[in-house]
Amino acid sequence: MNKPSQPRFVRPCTLIWLTLIALTGVTYSIGDAGLGGRNVMLLVLAITLLKGQMIAGFFMGLRKTSLLWRAIMGGYLIIVGGMIAAAYLMGIN
Amino acid sequence: MTTQSLTIDAHEPGTPPGDLAIWFFIFAELLAFGIFFGSYAFARAHNVELFNQSQLMLNRASGAVNALVLITSSYFVVRAVAAIKQGLSRQCANWLGAAIALGGVFIVIKLFEFHAKFSAGISLSTNTFYMFYLSLTIFHFMHVILGMVILAFVMAKARSGGYSIEHHTGVETGASYWHMVDLVWIILFPLVYVIR
Amino acid sequence: MQYKSQAVAKPYFIAAIGLFVGQILFGLIMGLQYVVGDFLFPAIPFNVARMVHTNLLIVWLLFGFMGAAYYMIPEESESELFSPKLALAMFWIFLVAGALTIVGYLTVPYAALAKMTFNDLWPTMGREFLEQPLITKLGIVVVALAFLFNISLTILKGRKTSISLVLLLGLWGLAVFFLFSFYNPSNLVLDKYFWWWTVHLWVEGVWELILGSLLAFVLIKVTGVDREIIEKWLYMIIAMTLITGIIGTGHHYYWIGTPEYWQWFGSVFSALEPIPFFMMTVFAFNMVNRRRREHPNKAATLWALGTGVMSFLGAGVWGFLHTLAPVNFYTHGTQITAAHGHMAFYGAYVMVVLTIISYAMPMLRGRAANSGKAQVMEMWAFWIMTVSIVFITLFLTAAGILQVWLQRVSTTPLGFMAAQDQVALFYWLREITGVLFLVGLVTYVASFFVGGETKEAA
Ligand code: HEM
Ligand code: HEM
Ligand SMILES: [Fe+2]
Repeated sequence: MNKPSQPRFVRPCTLIWLTLIALTGVTYSIGDAGLGGRNVMLLVLAITLLKGQMIAGFFMGLRKTSLLWRAIMGGYLIIVGGMIAAAYLMGIN
Repeated sequence: MTTQSLTIDAHEPGTPPGDLAIWFFIFAELLAFGIFFGSYAFARAHNVELFNQSQLMLNRASGAVNALVLITSSYFVVRAVAAIKQGLSRQCANWLGAAIALGGVFIVIKLFEFHAKFSAGISLSTNTFYMFYLSLTIFHFMHVILGMVILAFVMAKARSGGYSIEHHTGVETGASYWHMVDLVWIILFPLVYVIR
Repeated sequence: MQYKSQAVAKPYFIAAIGLFVGQILFGLIMGLQYVVGDFLFPAIPFNVARMVHTNLLIVWLLFGFMGAAYYMIPEESESELFSPKLALAMFWIFLVAGALTIVGYLTVPYAALAKMTFNDLWPTMGREFLEQPLITKLGIVVVALAFLFNISLTILKGRKTSISLVLLLGLWGLAVFFLFSFYNPSNLVLDKYFWWWTVHLWVEGVWELILGSLLAFVLIKVTGVDREIIEKWLYMIIAMTLITGIIGTGHHYYWIGTPEYWQWFGSVFSALEPIPFFMMTVFAFNMVNRRRREHPNKAATLWALGTGVMSFLGAGVWGFLHTLAPVNFYTHGTQITAAHGHMAFYGAYVMVVLTIISYAMPMLRGRAANSGKAQVMEMWAFWIMTVSIVFITLFLTAAGILQVWLQRVSTTPLGFMAAQDQVALFYWLREITGVLFLVGLVTYVASFFVGGETKEAA
């Protein structure tokens, strides 16, 4: 019996893993530098949603599922991100 | 009339990996966290000063390290799924063991963080920020523990050869839950520790 | 009926229905007292009628749960009940103790009853739903322990199914949380705090497990859908119940002197409590749509579907309506609460007990289902009672909204009694609808006496 070769999702997931590490570093540095304000918030939030989408799509394997599942997860991230952004902007005024 | 089962061992195309039931949980849990995140954000809007001030007292480094720990642990779980898809039970169990060990690291770091806060006399009633900080992180903390328990069961079964190339829904089920735990921290960390 | 010992369920069901009638009569008395203040004064004061109404409700639901367990467990465990004699003995003890307690409420002033039953030695009385004298409470514990002992041993010696294990967990939980009724700290905050551990953790915790289990049992029987599928649903419902319901207790801790963070915990977690109820609805309809057989008992199927819908409406929707702290700030303790209490109790627990009775009673009387004529009558009863409770809920909700407005929001707020006078119309409508409910209930009882062609039990 010949062994199946390594599934194809491993390599992309390895890249995703490294990217996530790097992006976490970026987020941390922003915090460490004490940066704040609307634009910084939007940047951090964008990074976060991107990371979330990467985990959902690649690690959780949702990118290979039907539109419904991807829409639920994508919608979730957008709504949570949207709430955070909206609340932040409310706080500025 | 066709009778569809909720159990999908022979995986239906288009549905997410693992048992469909776990996805109901995952989304229900994400909903709970989502509402919590929203509440935090709007509570902050009414109290920006207090939140910004109190946030400075958090240990941002330990939060970030914990993010790295969970991301890596999640990646190990991906490898565990890959291993079982090749029929490599032992390697699958080993990857899971590594993932669980990292979960343990998360727990230890978090305990240090909690210890520091509690010994500084901080509690749920200190102020709104700390109420959220403590309840969000403790709630997530309990999910880490639950996730580790689930992974431990899966690992034990994998070690005893309970999964195969054809039947490994259990591994995917545990993996999906663990990624959810990771995903929540990915949002929690910037929200509570960084954004100001 | 496959096992002889299942027969002990029958007296439990009969007692349940009898007490149900009593409960509704006292509801009607109170409903009238709401608008005709001195009705039956001084024979039956409002507070006494209220106590009888709610305690009868709890007691007949308990009779229903026990009957359900005695019926289901032998069938699920594929083994005769451990001791049918014990079950019968407990029936009579519970019935007599219950009856004496009600007689006590009605004939002796409450304070005198408290004195007579040694409440000053160990004060437990005086709290809503848990008004029973110490002796009755102890009696309930004895009956519950004997019951649990009987059921648990039956399960231990027989087949163990998810349905029976979930039921067992729910019933043990019911008994354990009842123990908090013995703890009555004199600090009013702590008193209320732990009171909810019985009341809330019953109806939004362990009773929901019982509800899920009974519903699953009847659905397996009437639809023939695979046990595996039904069990998976059951597990998901149970898990969601516990995740949301336990911390959801916080929705009662907003204004009673507990720390402020409960406003957040209560709001967030209880906002999710409708999920398991919603799943219950989807569950019921899904299973019926996938049915593999046409069971002759159409009435039982109707009750099962009704439970799904009405528990979601009463608990899920009407619960959500006032569960967020900023809303509850205005609605706390108003007629909105009563509206929700009626529809939730009816939709979830009254209906699920009537579901299992509807399924089991014909079997206990030696037939797979009642005659077509009897079933039609039972279904009429279903619709009359259900529509009545919906309208009672709507009228109370209307009264509640007005009450909140007049008494709490308006710039010239009225006092409590003045506001009550303004909404009297709705109380009249509630009372009229209550009479209709009684008509439905009488129809229901009558349906047991309708004969006609029936099939032998399989
Ligand atoms: C079948 C399940 C349920 C039953 C039988 C039930 C019954 C009741 C009853 C009888 C009360 C009044 C208690 C009292 O103060 O005397 C009450 C209060 C309350 N219930 Fe439920 N309930 C159920 C489920 C729910 C759910 C799912 C929610 C939330 C989504 C909810 C939210 C509330 C709230 C917020 C109150 C307090 C009202 C106030 O402040 O006056 N309930 N419930
Ligand atoms: C199966 C049907 C019924 C159930 C499950 C039920 C349940 C309850 C419950 C749980 C309470 C306590 C509510 C709270 O604390 O907020 C209550 C109180 C009450 N019920 Fe019912 N009930 C039913 C039928 C009726 C009927 C038909 C009437 C009369 C028309 C009625 C009239 C009342 C009244 C007047 C109260 C007192 C409310 C207060 O204290 O202001 N009930 N009932
Ligand atoms: Fe509650």
